Amino acid sequence: MTDVSSSPGGSDPAGTGIDTTVPHSARIWNYWLGGKDNYAVDREAGDQYREIFPGIAVVARTSRAFLTRAVRYLAGEAGMRQFLDVGTGLPTANNTHEVAQSVAPESRIVYVDNDPLVLAHARALLTSSPEGACDYLDADIRNPAAILDTAASLLDFKQPVALMLMGIMGHFTDDEAYPIVSALQAGLPSGSYFALYDGASTNEAFNQAQEGYNASGAVPYYLRSPEQFKRFFEGLELVEPGVVPVPHWRPDPDAEPVEIYSYCGVGRKP
Amino acid sequence: MSTDQRDGGRPGDVQGPTVPRMLVGIQLHRFREAAGITPDQAAYEIRASRSKISRMENGLVRFKERDVTDLLSLYGITDELIRSSLVTLTRQANTPGWWSKYGDIMADWFEAYLGLETAASVIRTFDLQFVNGLFQTEDYARAVTMLGHTSAPADEIERRVSLRLKRQDVLTGPKPPQVWSVLDEGALRRPVGGTAVMRAQLDRLIEVARLRHVTIQVVPFSRGGHTAAGGSFTVLRFSEPEVPDVVYIEQLTSALYLDKREDVDHYMEVMNHLSTEALTPASSSRFVAEIIRDI
Repeated sequence: MTDVSSSPGGSDPAGTGIDTTVPHSARIWNYWLGGKDNYAVDREAGDQYREIFPGIAVVARTSRAFLTRAVRYLAGEAGMRQFLDVGTGLPTANNTHEVAQSVAPESRIVYVDNDPLVLAHARALLTSSPEGACDYLDADIRNPAAILDTAASLLDFKQPVALMLMGIMGHFTDDEAYPIVSALQAGLPSGSYFALYDGASTNEAFNQAQEGYNASGAVPYYLRSPEQFKRFFEGLELVEPGVVPVPHWRPDPDAEPVEIYSYCGVGRKP
Repeated sequence: MSTDQRDGGRPGDVQGPTVPRMLVGIQLHRFREAAGITPDQAAYEIRASRSKISRMENGLVRFKERDVTDLLSLYGITDELIRSSLVTLTRQANTPGWWSKYGDIMADWFEAYLGLETAASVIRTFDLQFVNGLFQTEDYARAVTMLGHTSAPADEIERRVSLRLKRQDVLTGPKPPQVWSVLDEGALRRPVGGTAVMRAQLDRLIEVARLRHVTIQVVPFSRGGHTAAGGSFTVLRFSEPEVPDVVYIEQLTSALYLDKREDVDHYMEVMNHLSTEALTPASSSRFVAEIIRDI
């Protein structure tokens, strides 16, 4: 549930877009991941959520682990050297550029977010290897054309690009989400890849916890069915094993099997 | 407020005793609370003061192995595995840090800071008056040191300066921490040591900002009354998940360490406001270059 928007409403006297009176999804996610970049209001919201759905911390961890495996696959087997990571979230272990550049140091990564806290952290802490490059875009995913335009200052859109939407599309209803994803995919050349994960509506406790969270005044997040997930990949060649729960996507050999209600997939644009 | 007398360095990848100390302290604190034992009772057991217990639990002092095992017994910890792991940590916590040879010119509170700085994975600083000690040139460091120690003999000044430069080794070691420094424009405009010294200092600032693990952001005067009205401070983060962030605030003759969650949250909030209010790292370097042209 990486955040892409600063909290609506709420007090923000300094005008810096950081509001510590309303739970903030990037900071709650950071809390569930065991990070230290969260405030009391986020920990309270995170704990309330966890009371209803204790599995959320494992969802957070396994989803993040999917990002690591997906980027390793994209930079490795798929040979991607350009990454467009929209909805960056707060830095944690194994950030996109670290994983990509550990495989191919020359990888170029554009991080996109519209949250000032996330952007400040990204500029300071998500810094590139000397061989590659990172750039940070302050942009709203609701305007995909602007993202593609601006990202072109670092990425060459005549060459394949890996588009990553990790835990972000849940913030949008179907009416908004599918056109956004189509527009972003349309801007990529043939041979590009698309990777996504988000929370799924396949567990009652997860659904309940999410409903409670959405009613709390925080930026809402909608869980989707596996069928709804597949629609994001229409027109793409799905990489094996397809659209699956995150732990099932090319698991590491020593991975423990867990039942997780978060779905993911990686597709290639023909 | 601070004249940034923080001096030091770091030998290769040796972490130093600080994080083990904090880990022992955190665990002693947890066990004591779980056993429902007051600091006074614990102090009585090891014939120490209540404040000693608090300093132990905050990881600010060396431990006697015997004190640690006595406390564990008092807290009802009989599991040999837990006991022996804490004893091992205690031994690590008692290895002297590289800075111990500067003991004669360094106050205890500053020694604790060097330990933290050496062990940190992320160092976030806000500097209001001076360029941070980690980035100072020798001449600038000498000028700042002389401001703080007006009556000190020349050789003491030189040792202080050398300690400060040694502390900068942290930037070039094999596993450097991320140093994320926010400076007020005032720290860039005040010509400490004269204009030539200041120009060289600003050149250095632009140079270190190019390092991958160094971020420099300037809060220009035009951004008005920023949120850190209190003054300079530093937040240290450690990669160990159990070790909390520590806020360090230097005063004239002592220093304040805060690691209570509410306090740290408050300072972190201020630091985050400053970082979002400040110019981006790229604009900050251009801003510093403009100041150099103005000098």
